[in-house]
Amino acid sequence: MSQSSNLHTRCSHPLSPGIRVGRALLIVLALASVALFLVLPLVTVFLQAFAHGWQAYSHAVRQAEVLAALRLTALVVIVAVPLNVLFGIAASWAITRFDFRGRNLLITLIDIPLAVSPVVAGMMYVEVFGRNGWLGAWLSDHNLHIIYAVPGIVLATMFVTFPFVARELIPFMEAQGADEEEAAVVLGARGFSVFWRVSLPNIKWALLYGTILAAARSVGEFGAVSVVSGHIRGRTTTLPLQVEMFYNEYNFTAAFAAASLLSLAAVFTLVVKKVIEVSSGIHRQRTEEENRA
Amino acid sequence: MSIQVQNIYKQYASFKALAGVSLTIESGELVALLGPSGSGKTTLLRIIAGLESPDQGSIQLHGEESTELNAAQRGIGFVFQHYALFRHMTIFENVAFGLRVQSRGLRPSRSDIRARVKELLSLVQLDSYSGMFPEQLSGGQRQRVALARALAVRPKVLLLDEPFSALDAKVRKDLRNWLRRIHDEMHVTTVLVTHDQEEALEVADRVAILNRGKLEQVGTPQAIYDHPASPFVYNFLGNVNLFHGRLLADLSPQPQDHGASEMESSAIGFVRPHEFEVTRELPENQRAVLAMVRRIHAAGPQVRLDLELSGSKNPVAVEISQPRHKELQLTEGEKVFVRPQAIRLFEASEANEQILEQGAGI
Repeated sequence: MSQSSNLHTRCSHPLSPGIRVGRALLIVLALASVALFLVLPLVTVFLQAFAHGWQAYSHAVRQAEVLAALRLTALVVIVAVPLNVLFGIAASWAITRFDFRGRNLLITLIDIPLAVSPVVAGMMYVEVFGRNGWLGAWLSDHNLHIIYAVPGIVLATMFVTFPFVARELIPFMEAQGADEEEAAVVLGARGFSVFWRVSLPNIKWALLYGTILAAARSVGEFGAVSVVSGHIRGRTTTLPLQVEMFYNEYNFTAAFAAASLLSLAAVFTLVVKKVIEVSSGIHRQRTEEENRA
Repeated sequence: MSIQVQNIYKQYASFKALAGVSLTIESGELVALLGPSGSGKTTLLRIIAGLESPDQGSIQLHGEESTELNAAQRGIGFVFQHYALFRHMTIFENVAFGLRVQSRGLRPSRSDIRARVKELLSLVQLDSYSGMFPEQLSGGQRQRVALARALAVRPKVLLLDEPFSALDAKVRKDLRNWLRRIHDEMHVTTVLVTHDQEEALEVADRVAILNRGKLEQVGTPQAIYDHPASPFVYNFLGNVNLFHGRLLADLSPQPQDHGASEMESSAIGFVRPHEFEVTRELPENQRAVLAMVRRIHAAGPQVRLDLELSGSKNPVAVEISQPRHKELQLTEGEKVFVRPQAIRLFEASEANEQILEQGAGI
């Protein structure tokens, strides 16, 4: 959320020829790398997906396996993201509004999923919830299936996307301070009323931004989900896993068709992200004016 | 509603914010809590408000034990240093907030809320701003909205935490007088936290001076100005000249009972700038000190002279009236005689005070 605020600080004064050439070179280099490493591969995905025409593409994305994978991915997002939003708000609230023992530990722990490789995360879940894991015996006694089933996929996704909302909210809420909430309390508002009428409207853009990032990651998560899913076709295969399956089976049209759906989701995310940045950017500018005044 | 603060202690990690503060504020009084930053004045205000809880001690509001009540139950109005207006609400909604969140039984009807908000906005002279957002208002206007918002719930106590410190000097002065007028109209018990001694002395009925978590002195502005209880208070009230030296018996106008050796102790003395007499000639039968005029600041109601005492590097600030300045016709670099007409001495160790009115030397 900080890129656009730096725009007005870029150089606009006259430059010497040497610096001008250097600047042009840097811009060309940056654009060339973006084209080569980001845009070209993305375009290739769509070219490959449509290599055998619209008919083949349409057939590929409508086959049962792809639809099942889509449904599962949607289910994972619908369950994992709201839970992480709840957690993110709770954690940010606790961290920015209260001073308690273990506060710094909590801040550090929230970042663990960013530091740990997703594959390792998946393996940890297998160790805990798997047939031979710590809770395995108890779970099978109660006929609960987590690993190689949908709950495991949701858990793995939640682990990976755990920090996204909290990391957006904590610096934001820290900067905003608790003044408005205290004002609301002194005026007689109680806990939920304070949150609903004062806190939530103030954090809504940061919250939405974090949610979008978490949702995008939930859709695309591969490593952690791959370990816990068991790759059961039509049952525990999310869209990214389905892409890999098709690819390994040399079914390139289907692989790229499914991949194009993921890419579309990514593009959609970018658009929403941009909209939020612009909207919240206006808001941020106002806040800056307020601080200056 | 009266406020009784009894023996309050508050510690943050290794910082002692309040160390045994007791203070009684009468109903309808306007009391200023004055002190430098870190003196505990804001902490004390927040404890009265219920935004912080004391480690020890108790708060009584209108004679009723209130230490355990939370901020929402105390029926107070609080004005924050940085306004703390709800930035996503209009000015109208900001002022209406306290009424809207009241429980169903107590909440006024929509039309009553509308009327009350209108009344308050006209009180703070912001009638035409009700549809605007806080960010569209100037600092002074925002603080008036904050005051209207605090008054909307008809609090019995109004607490203000450095409400004018973020505003520029002119606006600060206007709002200060205006606050006093509102206080007089509403008879609401008011506690104002400030680090501005001028503000405290001008607005308050009584001033409580805090230093390092303890009360240094409580009294009317005049009593505090005329009889500062400690070197700290003297110094904090501003614009004083501080002298270090040894107290000698022969400096006092009338010989004291005790001997010179006993009197010879380390001391600090304070002289306010306007308490000096400046002459060209050594006055007869009087002691005075030779000094050089370093600079003359003649713009203003008083003329300020920066003097350098002979044999001392310490600059001394002296104020004389404009007529006296015209009479003397001083120029920079000139030598004059100065004589303090009043000096207040504190023993350097225990700050025991001694006032030597008239004729004291340096």
